[in-house]
Amino acid sequence: MQWIASGFLFVRGYSLIHRMDPRIRLFLAATLFIVGLLSQSVVELSVLIALCFVISLVAQIAKRFSKSLVFVGGLSFVVFLISVFLSHQSVTAGIINGLRLFEVIQATSIFFLTTTPDELEQVMRWFRLPIDFIMVFVIAVRFVPVLLMDAIQIMDAQRSRGLEFEKGSLIQRLKNTIPLLVPLIAVAVTRSLDLAEAMDARAYGALRRPSSMYVLAMRASDYASLLCFALGGALGLYIAFFLKLF
Amino acid sequence: MDSSNKMSTLERGSSKHPNDETIISFENVDYSHPNGTAALKHVSLSVSRGELVAILGTNGAGKSTLVRHINALLKPTHGRVAVFGTDTKETTSATLSRKVGIVFQNANNQLFSDSVRSEIQFGLKNFGFSQALIDERTRWALDTFGLQQYADRPPMELSGGEKKRLCNALVLAWEPEILILDEPTVGQDSEQKEKLIEMIRTLQNQSRTVIVVTHDVEFIWPLQPRTVLMTAGKIIADGSAAEVFGSVEKMKEASVLLPQLVELFNSMRIAQYPANVFQAADQISQLAIGGT
Repeated sequence: MQWIASGFLFVRGYSLIHRMDPRIRLFLAATLFIVGLLSQSVVELSVLIALCFVISLVAQIAKRFSKSLVFVGGLSFVVFLISVFLSHQSVTAGIINGLRLFEVIQATSIFFLTTTPDELEQVMRWFRLPIDFIMVFVIAVRFVPVLLMDAIQIMDAQRSRGLEFEKGSLIQRLKNTIPLLVPLIAVAVTRSLDLAEAMDARAYGALRRPSSMYVLAMRASDYASLLCFALGGALGLYIAFFLKLF
Repeated sequence: MDSSNKMSTLERGSSKHPNDETIISFENVDYSHPNGTAALKHVSLSVSRGELVAILGTNGAGKSTLVRHINALLKPTHGRVAVFGTDTKETTSATLSRKVGIVFQNANNQLFSDSVRSEIQFGLKNFGFSQALIDERTRWALDTFGLQQYADRPPMELSGGEKKRLCNALVLAWEPEILILDEPTVGQDSEQKEKLIEMIRTLQNQSRTVIVVTHDVEFIWPLQPRTVLMTAGKIIADGSAAEVFGSVEKMKEASVLLPQLVELFNSMRIAQYPANVFQAADQISQLAIGGT
């Protein structure tokens, strides 16, 4: 669970990628995502995956980035098996499907690992999304690590009462999750009610469009990055549609 | 009290229990969290059967991390932790918990059953107790902790103090040889704290090993436990309560406040600290008589 979450929880950093305007980071991730989704070539997908690794190195998040990839790699292999053995596609198509899933998750991971919840909120405001929707989304993102810590503490407490989560048949293992899920949900509900009260007490909802402490502003380097990524994306789409690579 | 002598005994851990049968030993233990933060640094500690040990330190000192090693919830990055002679790296927390019971700080993190009775029975079933013994131990726990009238109520409906009592009950129900209380006084009123002190004294009389993790010095002082002082993942003092609390420099280093009685007697320049207000009153009245 921690492995999966570690691929999507923000890591504080001061790299070139972290210093970019969050909208440019979103554009980069979206470009990688869309090109990956439309690509039909093993070579192009492999290049995109390698590119994601290079970006993670530049952003100094390679360690956290790689952690979640063990799980994503397993998931991609399952997609490959389903494509080949259940959908009766060719082995090449199976590889492409597996690589595609791997690449799009990588692209999403790069964005979330380098974007703070505050930046996420600013980007969503820039898109003029409803303020309540933004708040719900940002709170959900903020609470993921908190709930993860709660889950670890609850698991520790139940292990200390002799419960072995990993033991027994599938049914037994599912039953073993009850002592984890019930307190986790109860704690989450209590926390959300406390938060709602605290937000009410701080006048949340008094204005339809509250002001913001930070305003997004593009710098020259952001425009240069935008141009590079747009050209890269266009090249990627050209290769995906017009060049017949393996 | 000679300060230099006091410091040297403090650092080597002078207060070993007369039984001297070591049941917990930490040998040069290091532990780093998955994010790389070092939580324990070169920790060596041994605890004998029947000892009452208080682990003191501010938030983030490594107290909870230390005790989570005792029932193998955490395994050392370097070094060795042995409990009843078994290396914790070679066993599971579910196995070791039969002998090491931990009462966690947050009661809400432990309770999930539809009744107080079944909450108590959960651990007993996991440890494979017979039905007759489960019934007997459940009755004992409900009676001892005053929970009989709540036996069929959902634990979530209990008050904070009652939940805490239930958490104590559900661990003591399987009679672990070592009991660890992690911040037992958080959110507890003075009456509950008194009851906790009573419970710890009862366990001491039964020669059980009790480890209390706390930063509540007023709670722990009357118990006069062996005191282990931690800061930044290291043990900086280990000795009797009087020795450790009497070492003002070490207490300052750990950013732990002194109990009021110790502060009072320090300000009167008296190094013989009373354990409670009654002893303090006696000492002060004797001083007054001597002074007249």
